[in-house]
Amino acid sequence: MNTKAIIHFDGEGALINRNIHGHFAEHLGRCIYEGIWVGEDSEIPNNKGIRNDVLQALKELEIPVLRWPGGCFADEYHWKDGIGPREGRKRMVNTHWGGVVENNHFGTHEFFLLCELIGAEPYVNGNVGSGTVQEMQEWVEYITFDGESPMADLRRKNGQDKSWSLTYFGVGNENWGCGGNMRPEYYADLYRQFQTYVRNYGENNIYKIACGPNGDNYYWTEVLMREATPFMDALTLHHYTIPGPSWQEKGSAINFTEDEWNKTIERALYMEELVTKHSTIMDKYDPEKKVALIVDEWGTWFDVEPGTNPGFLYQQNTIRDALVAGVTLNIFHNHSDRVQMANIAQTVNVLQAMVLTEGDQMLLTPTYHVFDMYKVHKDAVSIQVQENSENQDLHISASKNQKGEVHLSICHYGIKEAADFELELRGWQNAPTQATGTILTADSMNKHNTFENPEVVKPSTLEGINFSEEKVSVTIPPMSVVVLKIN
Amino acid sequence: MACKGCLLEEDWRNTSVQTLVDEQLAYETELVSEEHYKQRLTICEQCPSLLSNTTCKHCGCFVGFRAKLSYKSCPYPGEDRWKAV
Repeated sequence: MNTKAIIHFDGEGALINRNIHGHFAEHLGRCIYEGIWVGEDSEIPNNKGIRNDVLQALKELEIPVLRWPGGCFADEYHWKDGIGPREGRKRMVNTHWGGVVENNHFGTHEFFLLCELIGAEPYVNGNVGSGTVQEMQEWVEYITFDGESPMADLRRKNGQDKSWSLTYFGVGNENWGCGGNMRPEYYADLYRQFQTYVRNYGENNIYKIACGPNGDNYYWTEVLMREATPFMDALTLHHYTIPGPSWQEKGSAINFTEDEWNKTIERALYMEELVTKHSTIMDKYDPEKKVALIVDEWGTWFDVEPGTNPGFLYQQNTIRDALVAGVTLNIFHNHSDRVQMANIAQTVNVLQAMVLTEGDQMLLTPTYHVFDMYKVHKDAVSIQVQENSENQDLHISASKNQKGEVHLSICHYGIKEAADFELELRGWQNAPTQATGTILTADSMNKHNTFENPEVVKPSTLEGINFSEEKVSVTIPPMSVVVLKIN
Repeated sequence: MACKGCLLEEDWRNTSVQTLVDEQLAYETELVSEEHYKQRLTICEQCPSLLSNTTCKHCGCFVGFRAKLSYKSCPYPGEDRWKAV
């Protein structure tokens, strides 16, 4: 099938905020414990308790922002349990997520260390559901206040003399569900109250994030925007890609049919409608787009791997997940005027993870490779691509970076036929002279990496790119994520 | 979409770990002998990495499942504790 597209070099859109490529790490299953934190006494090589292999992989990914500690965990988390000498910290069973013993060894200090080591901006999610205004106020004071105060002094006593820099702070999580089963009217009032005490200390300026809707709950967005727009910098949205008919039958991460592949892609593409419609409501109250839409939970959600603790949400990751990541990031790029951050769920060992670990082993998933390939779009200017296609199986985003290089991300989510892709270049001051590309693909739809064979799905150079008369043409195999560079 | 925490509780309410293990093992063919299985489980029961008497913290598996599979090793970091059996 043929796909023709036109790219206008001067057809510039909004800057693609690097935070659109953000991540999420919750105290859930083996994401934090074992996945990131193994402790200083572990047999696994580590840096102050954080395992080196995962650290290196995440560092190479150049994660811009990392959300923590939840998720549902955030609205049951009491931050004072996670500071001070580790041997004295509270131990409890995390009943939410599989009966894991939560020993609070990974707390505020460890999170800021992790962010520093991987170079990510911290995004802390505060507790509205079961916390207090005072608790939230004191956490921000503990983290960001450099003067003399009870919380700043406590931080110093715990070994951190200088305050940390913290921009992104979420006031509650999923308050329509696990965060308190609230009505939007009630949460809007609570949000207004709680955020009042999320103070700016010194030069630290907090970017306040309100809990937004679940999926297509447009009423929630309407109420929050109507009641609280002046008090927020951003509103969140959560949408998971679940191919099955119910939570009890989400479908296997590996053993799935062509119908399930198609259903998965269809539900991932639903993000386009969600972002568009929520943005339209936001436009009504905020036409200048001062309030951002942050999609701080997204990704695939399948049945857990056979024989694993269901509360751990451990699933494998195939080329299908790579396509979901690719099309979703494309959607965010194309809506970068309103979407300023997104955080895939989750970073390690949970849902659509970047890396999987088993004991002292680690592997990179196909989703990791997509994020790695897509790094080129960070802080670049979005460019609209005009498509004239017989093929409905391609999904594209494009951007231009500061050097004037153009990158196209092309997801071919068809299962069987290759696509002949032709791109016409228009409006370039200096005609480009070359095009190169990287491809992530597989010869069957359930290909994935295992600890025995960790490089089954990995990127390679895209061959067969033709460049002539301001046209680029290339054949793209099915089940592929491609990034083209034109300069 | 309902809260995922509540949904998980609902999943668990009517299903025991043994039922989950039995259901999944029914699909497996590469199994160790019953004696070998018991030896592996005895090691797991004494392991500090066993959570809630059911789950290995290093791989997230129910040990009653993983210990039955002949192609799996013990994931204890730096030390396959099943190697001796």
